[in-house]
Amino acid sequence: MNSIKILGIETSCDETAAAIVQDGSVILSNIISSQIAIHQPYGGVVPEIASRHHVENIGQVVNQAFAESGLQYQDIQAVAVTNRPGLIGALLVGLSFAKGFAYALDKPLIAVNHLEGHIYANFLEHPGIEFPVICLVVSGGHTSLLYMSGHDESRLLGETRDDAAGEAFDKVARVLNLGYPGGPVIQKAAESGRAGNVKLPRVFLDRDDFEFSFSGLKTATINQWKKLGAAQEHQADLAAEFQAALVDVLVEKTMLAAEKYGVKSVLMAGGVAANQYLRSRLEKEGQKRGFLICYPSLKLCTDNAAMIAGKAYLSYIRGDFAGLSLNAYPGL
Amino acid sequence: MLILAIDSATPVAGVALMDEKKLIREEFSNYKKTHSESLMPMVDRVMTESQCRLTDLDGIAITIGPGSFTGLRIGLATAKGLALAVGIPLVALSTLEVLAANVIGCDALICPILDARRNEVYGGLYLMKGFTPENVYPPGAYEPEAFFNTINEQVLMSGTECCIILGDAVDVYWESIGRIMGKRGIKAPPHLSLPRASALASLGLKKLARGETENPLNLSPTYLRLSEAEIKRLKGEKA
Ligand SMILES: [Zn+2]
Repeated sequence: MNSIKILGIETSCDETAAAIVQDGSVILSNIISSQIAIHQPYGGVVPEIASRHHVENIGQVVNQAFAESGLQYQDIQAVAVTNRPGLIGALLVGLSFAKGFAYALDKPLIAVNHLEGHIYANFLEHPGIEFPVICLVVSGGHTSLLYMSGHDESRLLGETRDDAAGEAFDKVARVLNLGYPGGPVIQKAAESGRAGNVKLPRVFLDRDDFEFSFSGLKTATINQWKKLGAAQEHQADLAAEFQAALVDVLVEKTMLAAEKYGVKSVLMAGGVAANQYLRSRLEKEGQKRGFLICYPSLKLCTDNAAMIAGKAYLSYIRGDFAGLSLNAYPGL
Repeated sequence: MLILAIDSATPVAGVALMDEKKLIREEFSNYKKTHSESLMPMVDRVMTESQCRLTDLDGIAITIGPGSFTGLRIGLATAKGLALAVGIPLVALSTLEVLAANVIGCDALICPILDARRNEVYGGLYLMKGFTPENVYPPGAYEPEAFFNTINEQVLMSGTECCIILGDAVDVYWESIGRIMGKRGIKAPPHLSLPRASALASLGLKKLARGETENPLNLSPTYLRLSEAEIKRLKGEKA
């Protein structure tokens, strides 16, 4: 078969993204138009504002993806788009554009699940990963552990009962006056602090299931912050301890799952996988136990369309195409 | 010149294909199905059953607003995808102007109003010049009672006898309209009261002929209202 080039489009949250990926493995272009600065004054992503920027920029971003790849519109074999989960109004922009674009070029349309895209980002960079694997999915909307025996055969082992990890980062960052987005600002603050100076709980670590809960940790952090008089001098220590408490649970549960299910490889995916402390802890603990640890490079951890175009290749091979009535859905 | 018109600004979805001489095909749906599911299949049927290719088109007309924020974006994003791939321009028309174009052959004022929720209407006032609506009171998001009072004054000042009121907010506010405007306010019949893609196509062709086109790379809807978060933030800054 000739090489298959797929245009991916991703607008599920606050990044307008388009990419062209060949054969599910070679990234020919990867354009991300970030709205972080736009949402910063609001302390979080405002869905209506995100959607407004998506619809304004989508054509521009797609054209950049073609320009960077050196390809013409007709050179692609399919158009892939994220249609779930995410902000519904935001998803609808990418989906509507993708439908019109694919229809006009007479190319098949492929629907991609955003979280499956995040997971696939691992395979874009490490094509040799062998199943079965344990995958930790950590993002602003999700925290879950999956057992995967194939790309499309996964079993949910456990997930968060309340806040997602990324959500906890955002909320704690706001209370500690660190700004937005929470992940990067807490990571930065933690560098000048010391974990352990203040004690925070490791929730559910005493249980041998794979459920998470971060709402309690968030509340404990906020209570400590108040108890310490919301004083600037405790900001870094508290950020470090919060990050450590959250990462401890994520890493321990992931190791537990990998041991229980006897896998060789452990993957991590989602925006929170960009956290340096989480990356190094997972790497260290994994090596200690002899697991192969994989996580995407920073650019492929956060939302992007290369992971969407990559994942779509598997659907293309199967001939799994979507119709013009394809809809978007906020949930999984 | 051949134009494809796409409208999903309100609960109505419409697609029409038209050249200067004739309306070739039109689909209209006011049935509760999401635009995201119904719009592209409508485009496909209109094109396929007219045995027409997208490459035959000279442009795509779109209702640019006001309307439902999500509806406007579904329409515009779809039109952008089509126009960019084919390499043709977009033509943008106000949803209110398209509505006003439903009423012709009279010298009455025409007042299109859309339900903007949050106790507001999107409205404006138009006067038909030939077959083209001319704006005489600017489109905006207005508090209904104040808006109908203003329109009533405009009608009185203009010396015309009445004003034809149409759009999906007419039934919602018919009681206040009657109270404020009395017999000067005339409700358009249901078949003229909602946006028609054929009216959009008709106005779009004229704009296209005048070269008043838009670039699919940076066109945005005309929302006429800020997002809720921006409104709150502005209020906070003032307070
Ligand atoms: Zn994501």
